[in-house]
Amino acid sequence: MSSALDWLQFVLAPQMVNGLSIGVAVVLMALGLTIIFGLLDVINMAHGEFYAIGAYGAVALIGLGMSFWWALALTPLLMAVLGYVTERGLIQRVFHSKDRHTLTLLLTFGVGIVLEDVLKIVFGANPLRVEAPITGATELVGLFFPNYRLFVMAVGGLLIVAVWVLVFRTSLGAIVRAAAFDRYMSASLGVPISRVYAATFAFGVALAGISGVLLAPIYSVFPTMGRDFVLIAFSVVIIGGMGSIKGAVLAGLLLTQVQSISSLFISPVWNDPLLFGIMVLVLMWRPQGLYGKLGNA
Amino acid sequence: MHDQAKPSAQAPSASRYFTWLFFLGALVFALGAGLVGDVFFLRLATEALIFGGLALSVDLLLGRVGLLPLGQALFFGLGAYVSALVLKEWHNSFWLSVTVSLVASALAGLVGGIVAIRAKGVYFALISFGLAQVVSKVVFNTRDLGASDGIIGVPGAAIFPGLTSADPIGFFLVTLATIFGLYCGLTYLMETPFGRQLSAIRTNEHRIPFLGFDPWRYKLLAFVVAACIAGLSGALYPMLRGFVSPELMFFQVSGNAVINVIVGGTGTLIGSLYGSTLLTGLKSVVGSFTAHHQIVIGLLFVVVVIVFPRGLIGYLSPLLQRRLSFRHATGRGGQ
Repeated sequence: MSSALDWLQFVLAPQMVNGLSIGVAVVLMALGLTIIFGLLDVINMAHGEFYAIGAYGAVALIGLGMSFWWALALTPLLMAVLGYVTERGLIQRVFHSKDRHTLTLLLTFGVGIVLEDVLKIVFGANPLRVEAPITGATELVGLFFPNYRLFVMAVGGLLIVAVWVLVFRTSLGAIVRAAAFDRYMSASLGVPISRVYAATFAFGVALAGISGVLLAPIYSVFPTMGRDFVLIAFSVVIIGGMGSIKGAVLAGLLLTQVQSISSLFISPVWNDPLLFGIMVLVLMWRPQGLYGKLGNA
Repeated sequence: MHDQAKPSAQAPSASRYFTWLFFLGALVFALGAGLVGDVFFLRLATEALIFGGLALSVDLLLGRVGLLPLGQALFFGLGAYVSALVLKEWHNSFWLSVTVSLVASALAGLVGGIVAIRAKGVYFALISFGLAQVVSKVVFNTRDLGASDGIIGVPGAAIFPGLTSADPIGFFLVTLATIFGLYCGLTYLMETPFGRQLSAIRTNEHRIPFLGFDPWRYKLLAFVVAACIAGLSGALYPMLRGFVSPELMFFQVSGNAVINVIVGGTGTLIGSLYGSTLLTGLKSVVGSFTAHHQIVIGLLFVVVVIVFPRGLIGYLSPLLQRRLSFRHATGRGGQ
């Protein structure tokens, strides 16, 4: 009996907490993807690269002598500018064609290829490290948790709540939701649609950048770091429902828990097949994902 | 005259010109390379053809059914692995390994299709992406399949008595014949009622059930055919290079196939072979200057998507067609 409790306390609980700290980062990433899809109908294939750029942005800013905190605050702003320019300069150009879905997907895919190689040229292919700004561990109910992971959970949780408030409780969010529901109607009511699109894309990219910065001290930073991560984010978005904020949060936390708990029993190699199996089952049961689109939620 | 781009009943069709140009050009190239005694460019051209076969399968799905496959490398890699295993562990016969690879990729296509075809639009793209990602991860971590090293030391395949895949010009011609056969088979298939069903699905899937057909069945069949084409092309790869590695299933390969199709011209079929040749050549040329050839390919791709979304053949074909129809019309007028 006591051994079972010990197992719960010393094996399962830390694993779940670790999963939660990755989970909030995955949710931030998935929120960016799902908001961009919900409003623009664009699958951003370069999202993983934007995540990597966020991490490299932190590396570069810290290299310039800034503290981690400044990097955490500045990187998302720079990422938003990058996102705005990308939407205005590239995505706008194919946005009004008939094959919008395919063309924008292909375009962001091409952008991702270019960005990845740019990272390789600028920073090299070798993994870099970012020192955690908070060291040490805190004792909670007889267990030690790394302080930085607790910090990631707190910041990530706050950001998720902030995104929710922004989208559902502010007039800015109402504009975005109205545009997602009926772009022509909101345009005729005076919403500057193309600027809203660009700003929303920038916002999604900034979210990817933040999760890159947050996870940089936990994982190492390398040019292809976004690839595996974006697969999880895509599964989260597909399971939660493309364009659904509630779905992204729920599915993100759930999937990362499944992943971290299952890795106690099976080799981590089988993590991706497990994730994918869940995704296929959910899609067979509900082809549109768990929840509906942004404008309708 | 808004339907000038369509081949009129009498005028010769532009796409046939491009087809002959490609395959005759390849024969001329083989002749030249054989006379000079070149090996490097023959091998490179064979590789371009093999990846052209993969691109052909992507074009069938993207251009003819309207499904964007982001994981077609799965079937390509599967064909390559099966062929490598047959050649190395069983018998070094070309025909045997190609047949086994075909059967394996047809089965995998059936299973993958049942999973992926349920999803529509972007969901299909993402599911095919995930499917390939998962299988490549599993292969990457399976020690019996050589894990990250893949399978090395695959012996050359015996094609005819006295001809193995180690012979550069012979194997180039065999690959060319295979791809030509695949291309002709596919263009023939597009003229059958099955092909018309596919173009109807691409145009408006929701109306198909009203005509009494089940779109799901046709899409699944198209997916299996595409898997077979990709698998067969993949089966040729270890014969050319003597090894297979999990990288063959990675997203890079799937992505490059899509790039080849878009650059060559979506839905033109022959365009995917042009695209593959063009980009394989470009990669080789740029690669001799810098290790960062992806950036050049990526920029080219972005420009094509924005400026020429119809691709090379999709852009040239209507121009040539207009000239052909014009000559045809004036020629008749003069008589």
